[in-house]
Amino acid sequence: MTHVLIVEDDLITAREIEAALKDHGFEVTCIDNGRDALLRAISETFDAIVLDRMLPGSLDGLGVLTALRAAGIATPVLILSALGELDERVRGLRAGGDDYLTKPFEFIELTARLDALLRRFVGQGQEHDNQLRVGNLSIDLLRRKVRRGERPIDLLPREYALLEYLARHANQVVTRTMLFEAVWQYSYGERTNVIEVHMSRLRRKIDGEGEEQMIHTIRGAGYALRSPA
Amino acid sequence: MPFVRLREIPRTISFRTALMSLALFGFSFLALFGYVYWQTAGYLAHQTDKRLERQIESRSQQPPKMRLHELQEHIEQDRKSHSPHTLFDAQGRPIMGAVQKLPSFNGYDEPHEFVWHKPNGHRRPIRFMVHPLEDGMLLLVGEDIHSIQEFDELLVNALLSGGAVLLVVGLLGAVLLGYLAGRRLDALSRSIERIIKGDLSNRLPTRGNDDDIDRIATIVNGMLDELERLMSEVKGVCDDIAHDLRTPLTRLLAGLERTQRHALSQEQYARAIEAAIAEAQGLLQTFRALLRITEIEDSARRRNFTQVDLDRIGADASEFFEPLAEARGIALEFSPAPVPSRLAGDAQLLFDATCNLLDNAIKFSPDNGWIQVKIIAEQGRIGLRITDNGPGIPEAEREAVFRRLYRCESSRHTAGNGLGLSMVAAVARLHDMILEVHDAQPGCRIDLIQASQG
Repeated sequence: MTHVLIVEDDLITAREIEAALKDHGFEVTCIDNGRDALLRAISETFDAIVLDRMLPGSLDGLGVLTALRAAGIATPVLILSALGELDERVRGLRAGGDDYLTKPFEFIELTARLDALLRRFVGQGQEHDNQLRVGNLSIDLLRRKVRRGERPIDLLPREYALLEYLARHANQVVTRTMLFEAVWQYSYGERTNVIEVHMSRLRRKIDGEGEEQMIHTIRGAGYALRSPA
Repeated sequence: MPFVRLREIPRTISFRTALMSLALFGFSFLALFGYVYWQTAGYLAHQTDKRLERQIESRSQQPPKMRLHELQEHIEQDRKSHSPHTLFDAQGRPIMGAVQKLPSFNGYDEPHEFVWHKPNGHRRPIRFMVHPLEDGMLLLVGEDIHSIQEFDELLVNALLSGGAVLLVVGLLGAVLLGYLAGRRLDALSRSIERIIKGDLSNRLPTRGNDDDIDRIATIVNGMLDELERLMSEVKGVCDDIAHDLRTPLTRLLAGLERTQRHALSQEQYARAIEAAIAEAQGLLQTFRALLRITEIEDSARRRNFTQVDLDRIGADASEFFEPLAEARGIALEFSPAPVPSRLAGDAQLLFDATCNLLDNAIKFSPDNGWIQVKIIAEQGRIGLRITDNGPGIPEAEREAVFRRLYRCESSRHTAGNGLGLSMVAAVARLHDMILEVHDAQPGCRIDLIQASQG
């Protein structure tokens, strides 16, 4: 079972995160200060750490993170902070964070990002011979060609990038923000409705008539590419 | 009529300065006058002494007979005893002359003074010298110095009265100056008090003569202009926020209360919760956008500036919005600049600004309309131009659309929080770009252009 360490000093937020992650099927440990968090993270093995930046006491989130990385512990860390400015995000990532989520956030966004982080670190091996396969959908990563079954699919570069990201996170919920950041390489800019249009275009090409649906819209969250049952 | 309280006058700088100059002037007046007095009095005494010495010299050189004769003659001529020469014997008894008693002295041939009680009862100040003659007799030569003393007194009186006049005039002048300065300051402080009490349109009085106080008043007035502008802006924003946030909050509350009142089915609950979440998210988004603008307006962001390729920004944004345009049958055309179009900037912000402009253009364009995104790089001008064939923005609203939370009357019912163009304006300010709305006849043309320095 995936074990996640939550470092958050606000009790209510910590409880909400704990509940959300337990619902998602994770085992959760909550710590409310930097010193204890660092001790636990060093002495035990966690699959991921959700780290608040502003913590009481002398050791804040970035301090914990720096100490962890200095100790050679590579547990994926998702920073959760109200400090959302570009400078702050960059500082968090430079200190060794693997992802950065700004408060207020949606829990679905948190779990989706944690899934992505965990998968990145487990190293999902769905890639063979430069091919990504999800169900009967195959993506040729070298020639950038996509086929569903025998049907070749012609995609625009951006659509291809979207599909590749979805395929790399197959069977996982991917939020619009994640898609936007991964595919357009700008940070989140509130333009979720535009991404919806891009996705519906992609969906029209992937899920042809009479074919089983692969791109699923997850209400209030994002999308998931799933192999047909 | 402004009134200055008397006890405030001594505190004014003008009064103190005037007083100080008065003291300085008085001091130099005293010194000058003292010097003149000392010199004049000394000169007159010196002249007297010279005359006395000459008398002694000529008398002592005369043979005794002739001396007696001449003395006799002198005494007869000098009836009023202006120069009472007298001959005493060795014991100090008067032999011939007006003075009856040898006055006390300490040293021959030295000038001395004494008050002579004349036989007629008058008292005269006499300056005299005593010379021992070769036959043992003592010759006293004297001179009445009453007129010299009178002159000295006159001089001192002139000094005193002149000094008094100077003091009075100077003090009056200082009080007047202090009063005038106090009156002016009072006028200034009354204006400032009115401003503090909230009358921001009030300005400090100036005389237009560009003196010290005028200069400060002008600067303060400039500051007040800026303050007034900011205040009205803040007030406008507050009003807008109050209005724009009250509406969704009321909707949210109404929805929740309705749900609370009625026994609903599971499905209806779910719908109500979904609606509440959507409203709350909309509110959060408005706040986020407001914060973002504040963040952009912090010019410290310029630290993150890098060389940005506007062509790429324009292409990315156009490509991003292309499906949205296509869905409405709008032709979205992107034309890059013929020459490289790079400027120092923040790519993320420029992308967001372009997206906001495009978002608006698509929102307000008619179905099957067209939108052009053009990158401009020519003669020191570099920027982005977005033209659409929508309804355009009425002339009167072209300034206002950049205000936070402002919504055109015609767009009140479309989605949006009225912050898009404010955000673009903030990005423009950060990049020293000029953001202008033009009439594209028909439609709207928005220029976001940086004129290069130099």
